[in-house]
Amino acid sequence: MLAYVIQRVFQSAIVLLVVGLVAFSMFRFVGDPVDNMLGQERTQADIERLRTTLGLDQPFPVQYYKFLTNAAQGNFGVSYRQGRPVSDILMERAPATLELAAVSGFLAITIGIGLGVFTAIRRNGFAANAIMSISLIGVSLPTFLIGILLIYLFSVELGWLPSFGRGETVDVGGWSTGFLTSSGLQALILPSITLGLYQMTLIMRLVRSEMLEVLRQDYIRFARARGLRERAVNFRHALKNTLVPVITVTGLQLGSIIAFAIITETVFQWPGVGLLFINAIQFVDIPVMAAYLMLISVMFVGINLIVDLLYFAIDPRLRADRTAAH
Amino acid sequence: MRLPLLIAAATLAFAGQAAAREFSWAATTDPQTMDPHAVNSAPVLGFLNNVYEGLVRRGRDMRIEPALATSWEPIGAGEGWRFVLRRGVTFHDGSPFDATDVVFSYERASGETSDTRSWFAPVSEVIRVDDYTVDILTSAPNPIFPDSIANWMIMDSDWAAANNTTAPDKERGTFASLNTNGTGPFRVTLREPGLRTVLEPFGEWWDSAGHNLTRAEFTPIRNPATAVAALLSGDIDFINPVPVQDAARLAASPDVNVIRGTEARVIMLGFAHAASALKYSDDVTDANPFADARVREAVALSISVNAILETTMRGSAEAAGQLVSPAMRGYSRTLDPRPGYDPDRARALLAEAGYPEGFSFGFKCPNDRYLNDESVCQAITAMLARTGLRASLDAMPVQNYWPELRAGNFDMYLLGWSPGTFDAEHPLRFLVATPDDDKKLGSWNFGGFSNTEADTLLPLIRSELDETKRQAMLDITASVVRSETAYVPLYVQPLIWGVARHIDLTQRPDDFFMLRWVTVN
Repeated sequence: MLAYVIQRVFQSAIVLLVVGLVAFSMFRFVGDPVDNMLGQERTQADIERLRTTLGLDQPFPVQYYKFLTNAAQGNFGVSYRQGRPVSDILMERAPATLELAAVSGFLAITIGIGLGVFTAIRRNGFAANAIMSISLIGVSLPTFLIGILLIYLFSVELGWLPSFGRGETVDVGGWSTGFLTSSGLQALILPSITLGLYQMTLIMRLVRSEMLEVLRQDYIRFARARGLRERAVNFRHALKNTLVPVITVTGLQLGSIIAFAIITETVFQWPGVGLLFINAIQFVDIPVMAAYLMLISVMFVGINLIVDLLYFAIDPRLRADRTAAH
Repeated sequence: MRLPLLIAAATLAFAGQAAAREFSWAATTDPQTMDPHAVNSAPVLGFLNNVYEGLVRRGRDMRIEPALATSWEPIGAGEGWRFVLRRGVTFHDGSPFDATDVVFSYERASGETSDTRSWFAPVSEVIRVDDYTVDILTSAPNPIFPDSIANWMIMDSDWAAANNTTAPDKERGTFASLNTNGTGPFRVTLREPGLRTVLEPFGEWWDSAGHNLTRAEFTPIRNPATAVAALLSGDIDFINPVPVQDAARLAASPDVNVIRGTEARVIMLGFAHAASALKYSDDVTDANPFADARVREAVALSISVNAILETTMRGSAEAAGQLVSPAMRGYSRTLDPRPGYDPDRARALLAEAGYPEGFSFGFKCPNDRYLNDESVCQAITAMLARTGLRASLDAMPVQNYWPELRAGNFDMYLLGWSPGTFDAEHPLRFLVATPDDDKKLGSWNFGGFSNTEADTLLPLIRSELDETKRQAMLDITASVVRSETAYVPLYVQPLIWGVARHIDLTQRPDDFFMLRWVTVN
């Protein structure tokens, strides 16, 4: 067990290092930050001086090495654009993204499972078919378009919900939350639907097909034959057995909700880390880009590591193979 | 007698208090710092003009008017300028303004780490004569000096010293990058970089407030479609800019006004004058046709600017014939209007220059710097092809664009230039003068254009105090730039602002937005 864990952790660390190296080799192609930092009346000498100060005159492996040694000490550098420590900026922006991701994830799971069960039970009903058709929109339309459509419908035409931003936030021990004000909650509705729609339809379709599969099983027929009520059969027996693959997929989707928040955040001007990253690209703010990419890859690698370890714990075969091999 | 008046005054004051006039606006970029000397960029200077003030300021018509200085006059035969300062002005923190702050702000704004130090290149010394008089000495006579310092903002010396921000630091930031203490009509009450900035009127401001705001909030909105939706839904009162393609639709909305104007920025084509051969040609690899003025003129004649303006810019821009727009000081009125579209003459010129069949070359263009820049470049490419000028267009994001231009990787390129001083001398210094790092000349003359007459006249223009003589020299240079076709000026970039119907405001050609001219009805 321990050997397996160590091996997986070691592999994860290598993946992280490679991601960082690729990221740093790409930064050169994003552009040159110097032009954004100096005004119109700069001279060639100003450009050279700033390049040296920022260490941009060095080859990218050297820049990467410096980034790593600083990052290992918890120092992610200073944003070129804002002139403030990147870690401060990330801490400021993280609550917005995490709250949005949490609400989206919650909506995706509850509505997705609910609709999935409904469409499976009433699989030939009109409503179920309508939901299935509409759900195609969620899978096929790009997030960007869905967001803009929602804004035009609910903000511009109906005037019910704010068109952008996070509303009023309350600071609770360094965590700015939008959950405690009515404008903050209103502001969450459209972005969280936009962000969660894809996952919602994914979960719905997954639950539906699993559920249809389970409903065909013998134990469901026996349960019905025993005269159990329909609700008990559907929810106590069928749904429970449906959830195992759903949980796996949901776990993996959690990471992508946070990572893909970039587009939703841009459309709604949602002040999270995704928007920060998009702005950083535009400004070639290398410290912010590097820290964000490392953070996201740490998250993905971490989730994968946990999933791997969970499999190890759950699946006895994996364990047996390992022991035999050693 | 007095009592009713008092009551009336009190009621008025109360009514003003009760009706909170809140205003919110959005732009695509957040000012990257609140430090007026750290970054010389339009978003920063435009925003901070609401908070800080200079000795002079620009009015609605861009004319220089007194601000922290009440008057100024040249010293002797052009040794410098004497500024008489306004009395009774206080900073937002309550401390008084005097000559010490001016001298300090000069030192801060012209220091090694300041991005605004090029403004003070002509300055040799700043002397505090008494508490309310300052002499700014220049190494040569400088007629446009007061015009060139409208964005030089005055900071309180004691505040800067107390908060350890006596010099700007763009890379790491200082106290002044997040906090402000100016003398201007508004003070910043909340600053969340990249998210929002809240301003409130400064009650002790020396000038009478032309606005009726009680609070103003700025939000950067990166995605233009979101900004348009926010304006239409009433969440935002003013957005800048409005995407060209949305302007007509916005104007049709009953709740929104679209304000159009022309910016100071002229969009032009530049050439690789000094290169020995074309870099991106399939057929001409051993010569540089663009070194020949006839070829450059052929480019100018092959482009129908009016067609570009009608289609790509949807009728919201004006054609340009010089490196500055007609609204700028020193614009040459004696020069003929822009040469028109004449493909036959262009073909004849190309044949004369030895390229009857035309030639192929590389055309570099940004795709996110100017309004619809890439579409404009595509239109130009198509027009040039008709006279045999086969451009292969390479459009890229601006962060990649400037390094390419600096490295000389182009045969022809697109450039926009907005003269910081609002004077025709500005593009001569940066775009026309032969590049010379030591003299700080020609730093944006990527193609290496060089003309002896223009180079000789430039220092004379810069030091000529007599308006008529100066204009005569500017006219000569403008005609040299025209006859040599050093650049091909295309059009003046439009300004398109979207404003909620209940708001009145003023649009200035430098695209600066002044809260002091906003009224909420």
